[in-house]
Amino acid sequence: MSANDAPGRDTGITGTTGNWEQLARSAAEPAAQRDEVLLLRELLAFELAGDPYAVPVERVREIVRLRPITPMPRVPEAVLGVIALRGEVIEVIDLRRRLSMPGVEPTRRSRIIVLHREDGCVAGLLVDAVNEVLRLPEDAIAPSAQGDSEAVEALCARGEEFVSLIDLEKVLDVDVER
Amino acid sequence: MAARRSRVRSRRSKAYREFVSEAEEVLERMRADLSDLADQNDAGAEVDPESVNSLFRSAHSLKGMAGMFGLDGLSELSHHLEDVLDGMRLGRVALDSPAASLIDEAVNVFVAELGSLDDPKTPVEGSEAVAELIGRIDSAVREPAAPTDALTGLDLDPALLRALTEYEEHRLRENMRRGRNIHLVEATFEILAFDEGLAELSVAVREAGEVLSTLPSPGAAGESQIRFGLLAASELDTDALRTRLDFPDATVRGVWAPAAAGSSPAPAVEASSDRAVAAPEAPPAADPREIESLKSISDTVRVDIRKLDELMNLVGELVIQRGAVNSIARRLQAEPATARIGRELEKIHKLLDRKIQGLQAGVLEVRMVPLRQVFEKLSRVARRLRRDTDKEVRLELRGADTELDKLIVEELVDPLMHVVRNSFDHALEPADERSALGKPEVGSIRIEAFQRGNHVVIEVADDGRGIDLERLQERGVERGLVDAGDTLSRREVLDLIFAPGLSTRDEVTETSGRGVGMDVVKNNLTALGGVVDVDSQEGRGTTITLTLPITLAIIQALVVGVGGQRYAVPLNSVLETMLVDTQEIQRSDGREILNLRGEPLLLRHLSQEFGLPEIEGAKPHVVVIGLGDARLGLVVERLEGQQDTVIKPVQGPVQNVRGIAGATELGDLGAVLVLDVAALIEDAGRRREAA
Repeated sequence: MSANDAPGRDTGITGTTGNWEQLARSAAEPAAQRDEVLLLRELLAFELAGDPYAVPVERVREIVRLRPITPMPRVPEAVLGVIALRGEVIEVIDLRRRLSMPGVEPTRRSRIIVLHREDGCVAGLLVDAVNEVLRLPEDAIAPSAQGDSEAVEALCARGEEFVSLIDLEKVLDVDVER
Repeated sequence: MAARRSRVRSRRSKAYREFVSEAEEVLERMRADLSDLADQNDAGAEVDPESVNSLFRSAHSLKGMAGMFGLDGLSELSHHLEDVLDGMRLGRVALDSPAASLIDEAVNVFVAELGSLDDPKTPVEGSEAVAELIGRIDSAVREPAAPTDALTGLDLDPALLRALTEYEEHRLRENMRRGRNIHLVEATFEILAFDEGLAELSVAVREAGEVLSTLPSPGAAGESQIRFGLLAASELDTDALRTRLDFPDATVRGVWAPAAAGSSPAPAVEASSDRAVAAPEAPPAADPREIESLKSISDTVRVDIRKLDELMNLVGELVIQRGAVNSIARRLQAEPATARIGRELEKIHKLLDRKIQGLQAGVLEVRMVPLRQVFEKLSRVARRLRRDTDKEVRLELRGADTELDKLIVEELVDPLMHVVRNSFDHALEPADERSALGKPEVGSIRIEAFQRGNHVVIEVADDGRGIDLERLQERGVERGLVDAGDTLSRREVLDLIFAPGLSTRDEVTETSGRGVGMDVVKNNLTALGGVVDVDSQEGRGTTITLTLPITLAIIQALVVGVGGQRYAVPLNSVLETMLVDTQEIQRSDGREILNLRGEPLLLRHLSQEFGLPEIEGAKPHVVVIGLGDARLGLVVERLEGQQDTVIKPVQGPVQNVRGIAGATELGDLGAVLVLDVAALIEDAGRRREAA
């Protein structure tokens, strides 16, 4: 990664999907207003082993390209380590390993989604690729059908396929030996 | 509908935060004033009226601030405080009355309420504690003070007397009670420049005593002139004051002098003057004292510590960029074609380096505050302890000017308080026990702060009963911390006091609870990158030593390499580094030891600590790290040089990883983890016992 990245957001997304930021900005408008009028939820859709997954847009702070990750000792395998991002040090979790899939070598499409955690910190989630922002009506989002999934909170119907909505609280909670 | 989780906790507005910080400052000042008053009272000295006035002003500002933010409870509380203090400055409420003792309490309640404002559930009308306290203040104030009329003996126009404010009158009585001479100093000034002349005269009079009131006098010589009279109290008699003032235009007249015995006020100067003094409409005469205080406030700037953090971050990033410039300069110099440009860039880098160092030092300096504040809090605590228990203690404070990073000072207060309370509660024996032992009846706690290299050391030493090592070890066995048959060294036994929930005293006291807390102290210190040591001699006393880094912001780090990874070791914990031959390393019962100038040095391989592959055959470097008295040799593969770094906390749960204090950004190396030296040393000691 070159050291002279632009200081602004490195969204890692260009071209046709480049309007996600605009959408994210509209997501920052008074939430209640939009929900009541349109009953739409906005989800950032991404890819993992060829399948579609998503996280709520309002939890996304930014999306960055892969950069050198400093491994962390004494942490579970799914925690890849930490990255330095404009003066902050952020842990990065490999979502594949977190969902018990085999890890793979990152590609040019790999991205780190930087998310707001409940406790006010941020955390990075390594995914295979980021696709688009979905705007789905609230009723298209059904609680996870089988109920035994550790990390998927709901399944969202998008045309023929279902997008798995990640339960961030579970995924971002990592046990660490103290 | 699925409720959205709010992703960021609601933040208070900037104005609100400023209110809290300002209120805290006012409360801090009140505490300082209260402590001054208490000291004066203890010493039996006369109370400085300015302390009471300052308290009154503080209460008044608090009332205004709380009112502005609709905090009715706090506003009401400050209003009542103001009443009590007003009573005190007017002599209506005695300084040692129950109402006065409530002021201390009110300040504490106010602080507690401020702390809970964060919580949106806190009602604006204030908690029950506030209402209850207001009630008590109310009933305490209702005891009237009996005024005695001594003022009739004054050689002063009654109209002038009537023009005195209640406060001025109180000060007049007080000074008469103290047996001071009362004078009327009069002078005529040109109207255009009277304020200057009057201020000059006031200063001169104040040097000789107290200015009780400044009032315009009749009898000015011309149209463009104005005459003022200063009612003054002084130990000096009229002639002495006149000589002392040396003000050619001023007349000094004795108004009242104490009787020869000096105790009971009696008329001593015969009423001689029958000047007709037209009752002056006491104008709000400019009080020079207020002008002074405005000036002293305006040359300091109050800054939110977060702004300093931001500045610090920026400086930190500059430091990193500087590193990048340097590496480019070196690369350019390595190529013959660009060597010249490289050298020029190197020169610029050096200039940049000097400026950045200046900037860094400046920002660091701004964050530094003396320990004085903490010490003042400690003496307050000691005073309260003395009051709540029968024990006498002499608190000796040294090194109050030692400076530390503001953030560290903040975090230091609680642990230090805990240590002092422990000493007071558990270490110091009751007076009768002490005298039976041949010790001075009054126990002493000595707190001394001083700088040692990059650290500040704070020692808390008492001359109490000391730690009973046998008893401590028994407790350790009871708690399953050590085995019954173990033979422990003195140090190992002493270190048991830092184990969670262990205490050698069984009784519970209100002041320090169950005697727990040394483990908490230790955790707090560790979080600050410091250590706590204990030493004790039975029957002679205990010394607790806290060692802290001066700042957390920018540190120098030694970058080491091991198993393909880099780690930063804070340089202030590095004692030395050396390259050793594998043959020099001895083994003893599974641990590795190096002979360091005759002393055994325990070695730990960083690769083993962190489960990294170890490269065989390389000559290992040993980094000797030390904190307090403990030493450890850290075995690494490479030393990669020193760097200025800004330690950042790692966000999220991984910040709790043992052995890692945080991370730092090192130019193009990205994030580099910073070792938690205290944890590594401690773990090495623990494993040694386990082995």
